[in-house]
Amino acid sequence: MEELVQKEVQTIPKIVFENINKVFHTRKQTIVAVKDYDMQVDQGDFVSIIGPSGCGKSTLIRMLNGIIQPTSGRMLLDGIPLDTSKPYSQETLRKMGFIFQQPNMLPWYTIRQNITLPLKIFGLDTPEYQEYADELISVTGLQKFADSYPIEASGGALQRAGVVRAMVHKPEILLMDEPFGALDEMLREQLNMELLSIWKRLNITIIFITHNVEEAVLLSNSIYVMATEPGRLVEKVDIDLPRPRSLEMITQPRFVSYTQRLVDLIGSVELRQIK
Amino acid sequence: MKKKSIRKKKGIDWMSIIPPWILLAIIFAVWEIAAKTTGISEYILPPMSKIIHGVITKFPGELLPHFLLTVRVIVLGFIFATILGISLAAIFSQFNIITKAVTPVIIWLVITPMITLIPLMTLWLGYDPVLRTYVVILQATPIIALNTLNGFVNVDNDKVELAKSVGCTRMQRFTKIVFMNAMPQVFTGIKLGSIFSTIAALSADIVSGNAGLGFKISQFTKYNNVYMSYGTIFLVGLIGLTLYKIIERIERRVVLWKN
Ligand SMILES: Nc1ncnc2c1ncn2[C@@H]1O[C@H](COP(=O)(O)OP(=O)(O)O)[C@@H](O)[C@H]1O
Ligand SMILES: [Mg+2]
Repeated sequence: MEELVQKEVQTIPKIVFENINKVFHTRKQTIVAVKDYDMQVDQGDFVSIIGPSGCGKSTLIRMLNGIIQPTSGRMLLDGIPLDTSKPYSQETLRKMGFIFQQPNMLPWYTIRQNITLPLKIFGLDTPEYQEYADELISVTGLQKFADSYPIEASGGALQRAGVVRAMVHKPEILLMDEPFGALDEMLREQLNMELLSIWKRLNITIIFITHNVEEAVLLSNSIYVMATEPGRLVEKVDIDLPRPRSLEMITQPRFVSYTQRLVDLIGSVELRQIK
Repeated sequence: MKKKSIRKKKGIDWMSIIPPWILLAIIFAVWEIAAKTTGISEYILPPMSKIIHGVITKFPGELLPHFLLTVRVIVLGFIFATILGISLAAIFSQFNIITKAVTPVIIWLVITPMITLIPLMTLWLGYDPVLRTYVVILQATPIIALNTLNGFVNVDNDKVELAKSVGCTRMQRFTKIVFMNAMPQVFTGIKLGSIFSTIAALSADIVSGNAGLGFKISQFTKYNNVYMSYGTIFLVGLIGLTLYKIIERIERRVVLWKN
């Protein structure tokens, strides 16, 4: 219901991928990392991209974030095509926050300095934003690490700091590249639930990359399933489970049937590749 | 101010202070005993006590002006070389092709003993102790530039991607990421630079003659004051070591994020 209302108000999709291709040329070979990829993500949506390693998941959101450039195709942000021929404007980049697979903290800065780095770069180093940073730091329980260097903090704290750094400039979109993949399951579940509550509160748009089927079902409105060689979209699966989601749902029949369907999809994709 | 928790943890590290002194004491003791018991000529192996006594008594009068000259040459040359080496590396690293082109040239300069240029430089610049400072700059700059350049061009791809993701300008990327990332290598370069500076200054003293600790060493040797030769050589070592230790201290204050 909620989603229906939103879609009526916001007719322009937040993010569009149109026939996106990415080819890497290395000395030895040419890799088609992404082939003819299409995707539409609405404002406030929570979308996951799932698929085996090397199917181009990271490549997709790195292109959107301007870290690398597509070989062909178009990406639109708020209905406006992104000009990938030159680095994005600060205005465009400010709309996004990128969470890397590894914490990617700069070791020479304290956790707080790392977290507030985007504020410095985006020219948002105002008391207001500093206050917001402090708030995020305390919400995520990072106070005691705030003035420590990354080598002194735990993996979980660092990964949280990575999330906070991506949020500190109040982006409209979070791009998350297997953000909690390296953490143990308990911690990952906890951080996933924290993520859902942040998403709900801030009404941001999230593209979440994972290779964990359960995680994808638990978090997402829809899941894009990809396959390798070439990296491509196989199917989009809408997850019609009620919100708020909780960890108990994992054992419910509808949840299980979703995960089963996804596992089958990914499995059959992989089988086809073996042949 | 923000508290730097890592710095607070660092008290005096006795484990890195005591052992070198013990070793030094052992070397001196063995030297002394060997000199007194083996019957090796005093021209080859003067007793350590005589060496130390000689340096201490001759330091205020005879050695001091030479000491000051050489220290000035080392320190001035080293400071200029550090500034020059880092600046050159910063400029070179901006362009891939330049980095590739200059690297072998820098290595070639590192290997070249710059004192060989002294006779030529004397022709151009006339006789002047300042000449020695140029020699030091020439000798130390390449090794500093080489290490620094290495640090500047080897940046983790992850960190470059982070810079892109937040839209760092070229300058921001250099100051906040490339330079900081290279800091350990910059310090390695600076430390090597301090060693090169000391060696270059001493060699320049010897080649130029007439002043400086290097000149004194050759004089003492010439007039069979072997114990004073040794003593002055030790004094030079002490200068180099002190400089090195000072830099190491600074490094530990600056590079807080490494253990
Ligand atoms: N910079 C690059 N140069 C060459 N090949 C790359 C580069 N980045 C990614 N690839 C290749 O593109 C494919 C997709 O990579 P990636 O998007 O990282 O996959 P995923 O995130 O789904 O594991 C892989 O085959 C990978 O080896
Ligand atoms: Mg990936």
